[in-house]
Amino acid sequence: MGRVMAEDAFEGIVAAHHGEIRRYLLRITARPSDADDLSQETFLRGFRAYSSLPPDANVRAWLFAIATNLSRNHFRSRKRQRLAYAAAAAEPRMTDGAGPEREALLGETRARAERIIADLPDKQRLAFTMRKMHDLDYDAIGASLSCSPESARAHVFQAVKKIRRGLDDGPPVETESTR
Amino acid sequence: MTSPHPVCREIEPDLLALAAREAGAAAAERVERHVAACRPCRGELERYRAIEGLVSGIKEAPLPSDDATLARAELEARLADLRSRIVGFGIYASPVGPILIARSELGVSMVRYLEGRVSPASPQVRRVLGEDAVEDRAATESLHRELLEYLDGRRTHLDWPLDLRRVRSGFQRRVLEATARLPYGAVTSYSGIARQIGAPTAMRPVAQALRRNPLPIAIPCHRVIGNSGALVGYAGKKVGLKQRLLAIEGVHFGAAHGELRVDREAMYVCPPEEVEYCLPTCGSIGSRPLAEVRLYGSRQRAEAAGLSPCTTCRPDLHPLN
Repeated sequence: MGRVMAEDAFEGIVAAHHGEIRRYLLRITARPSDADDLSQETFLRGFRAYSSLPPDANVRAWLFAIATNLSRNHFRSRKRQRLAYAAAAAEPRMTDGAGPEREALLGETRARAERIIADLPDKQRLAFTMRKMHDLDYDAIGASLSCSPESARAHVFQAVKKIRRGLDDGPPVETESTR
Repeated sequence: MTSPHPVCREIEPDLLALAAREAGAAAAERVERHVAACRPCRGELERYRAIEGLVSGIKEAPLPSDDATLARAELEARLADLRSRIVGFGIYASPVGPILIARSELGVSMVRYLEGRVSPASPQVRRVLGEDAVEDRAATESLHRELLEYLDGRRTHLDWPLDLRRVRSGFQRRVLEATARLPYGAVTSYSGIARQIGAPTAMRPVAQALRRNPLPIAIPCHRVIGNSGALVGYAGKKVGLKQRLLAIEGVHFGAAHGELRVDREAMYVCPPEEVEYCLPTCGSIGSRPLAEVRLYGSRQRAEAAGLSPCTTCRPDLHPLN
């Protein structure tokens, strides 16, 4: 059965990508229950469409595109978005590094950066997360956001500039590279 | 804090790219040359590099609630369920016209007579099987072969696992299950099936349920006829096909009141709960309604169904011809 072979391959795809797709969704929704639901939906959709995917397709980029589209639909409800941002802002972060003071300061800078990221417009936030947290290339990000690779890159750079401006508005930035 | 000088403004995208380690060699060189001479931009580059460092710190930090175990287990259960619903099908030529056979992981889910040439991609096929169905001759070819043997009289059983999940109504399911138990070469009436499922007055609902049989032949609804012995209906207007299927199984016909009927006088008789089959002239059995008995076209068929000859009328000594 042709499809059976596809199913076997799909099990491999779930094993290889489910963890990362869920982490991506966790980053952009900030809610584990949303990440669970949306990652499940991503793979169920993927399973249905998998047989028509060209053999040379980039499966990982394709899954990110499905997950991105689902999350954007999910966020159409503004209320949900506000909840997610609130959750992201409230989320305590584990930190590493040297002394407790420095750790606290570093943690605080990080938390500030994360709040700024959570407040970015959708496309910038998604492009930034795909690029900086998951190392996707701009072709893949563009495909996910239905824009050109150049626009995808511009979204990421805009996001970086906003983080920079946001951090400049607060106390001096303490980062890993300044250690 | 955009650099005011036009040159600085122009170099900014390259500067950001360099900080992100994405700049090509030419852009990197441009920026290096510029920041060597421009102090504010040198500061900018350092600043963006620091932000990149901060961002990779965020990336590396463990995420809270990063345990996908439960979500993964649930996903796999749902995928398994989805997989079991996927239907593979084939469209084949047969002596009774083109026929569609579909199966899932659980069993055969549909047998359907088609009119004329039907392409596997046609809307008609999508409509009856759903969008997820895929043409899969490899998975259905053996079913087709067995069906041909059956239609040729070389096979009396289709030992197919059946997938009846599409049958939503419990009543229809009971009707189909009772019909599936009718032995090869036996006939009874719609009321007979109604009796067997404990709803003796439900003749019409039984007929309706059989009209929507998703698995004709495999669930032998052709063995169910009217109380008068008339064939009544089959797969729309295919009564001729019903007669043909019954004839393959050795059922005898005669004409009465201007219509074709199963010829009770030429058939052996046995009530479904009995273990002995009789001549139609044995005692009062010949006058019992068809709903209370099953008819067999030959001793061979009756005995293949596990019955023995009646010790009173002795069909073994006085067989019908």
